[in-house]
Amino acid sequence: MLIRALAISAGIAVLAGCAAPTRYIDPAADDGPVAMTMDYRDFEKAATDAVEDMLSSGAVNNPDGSRYIMVVSRITNDTMQRIDTDQLTKKIRVSLLRSGKVVTTTAVGLNGAEDEMNMKARELRDSEEFDQSGVQRKGTLQAPDLSLSGKILQRNHKVGKEQQVEYYIQLSLTELASGLAIWEGETPIIKRGSDKSVSW
Amino acid sequence: MKSLFLASMLVLGLAGCATQPETNSTMIDRQELRVDPEVVYTADVTELFKSRLTLPDGGSLLQVQFAVEARSHTELGWKVTWFDDVGMVVKGVGESYRQATLLTGQTRYFKATAPHARATSFQLHLREPK
Repeated sequence: MLIRALAISAGIAVLAGCAAPTRYIDPAADDGPVAMTMDYRDFEKAATDAVEDMLSSGAVNNPDGSRYIMVVSRITNDTMQRIDTDQLTKKIRVSLLRSGKVVTTTAVGLNGAEDEMNMKARELRDSEEFDQSGVQRKGTLQAPDLSLSGKILQRNHKVGKEQQVEYYIQLSLTELASGLAIWEGETPIIKRGSDKSVSW
Repeated sequence: MKSLFLASMLVLGLAGCATQPETNSTMIDRQELRVDPEVVYTADVTELFKSRLTLPDGGSLLQVQFAVEARSHTELGWKVTWFDDVGMVVKGVGESYRQATLLTGQTRYFKATAPHARATSFQLHLREPK
C-alpha cells in the first residue's frame, strides 16, 4: 500500500515538474508560436493597417480642423470562432482618439447606447433631488459624422497534408451625411499549419 | 550640537552618493535604422525614405518607407517607434513587430505612418523572428 502511494506521489511530482510554468507574455516581444485561430497579434495587425491607412488617406481629417465624431456600427463575425469584435474596434477607437482626429460617441448604437448613462443622467432633469445646474441640458449630445462597420470572414482549405485558414478583416468608414463609404480596407490574415490544428 | 553636526554630514554624504537623474533634454544621437545581424546575413535595406504627408486640415504626418532586398528566403519582423521633437515616444496602435516574408531575390517596400502629427522622428528596427 505504502509503495503504491509513494509511486503515485512520485508520478504526480514528475508530471508537475514537466508542466510549462505560467508566465506573462509581453506583446512587444512575443516570439511565441502562432495559433490557427485569431489571436491578439492578428487584431493588432488589422487595427494598425486600418488606422495607418485611415490617417494617411485623409479620410478622418475634418477640413475645419475639428474632430470627427464616429459611431461603431455592426462588425459581423462570419468565422467559426466566438470573437468579441470589440477586440478590433477598441484598438481602432483608441488609436483614432489618440491621433486627435476622431472621437467616438457612446450615446448611439445599433442596440441602444453603448453607455446607457448618457440617457440615464438626463432622467435627472426636473428632479428636485438634484442640483439642476449640473444636470445635462437638452440638445448637448453630439450626433455622429462617421460610422465604422465591417465583417470578419473565415475560409478553410486543405493544402496537401496541411490546413490553410484565411481570415479577412473588412472595414468601411461611412460618412453619414452622404451615406458614402469614404474609406475601406481589408486585411487578409493567412495561416497554414497542421491539419490537426483546430481553427474554431 | 555634535550629534546635529554628524547627522548633517551623514545627510550630505548620502545625497552625494545618490545618482542624479538625467534631466538634460539634449537628444541622444539615435539611429534611424537598426538591423540585426541575422537579417543582414540574408537581406539588405536598400532604401529608407521619410516625408511629411500634408493633410486636408493643414496638418501633416510623418511617413516612412523602406525597401528590403532578399538574397535568400527571409523572414523578418519590423517595427517603427515614433518620437516627438523632444525625443519622447509617441504611442502607436500596437507594440508588436510586423512580420514579413521575402522570397529569394525579391524586393519589398514597406510603409508606416506616424500615429500623430506630434511625431517628428523615428527608429526602424528589423529583426529575425525566432
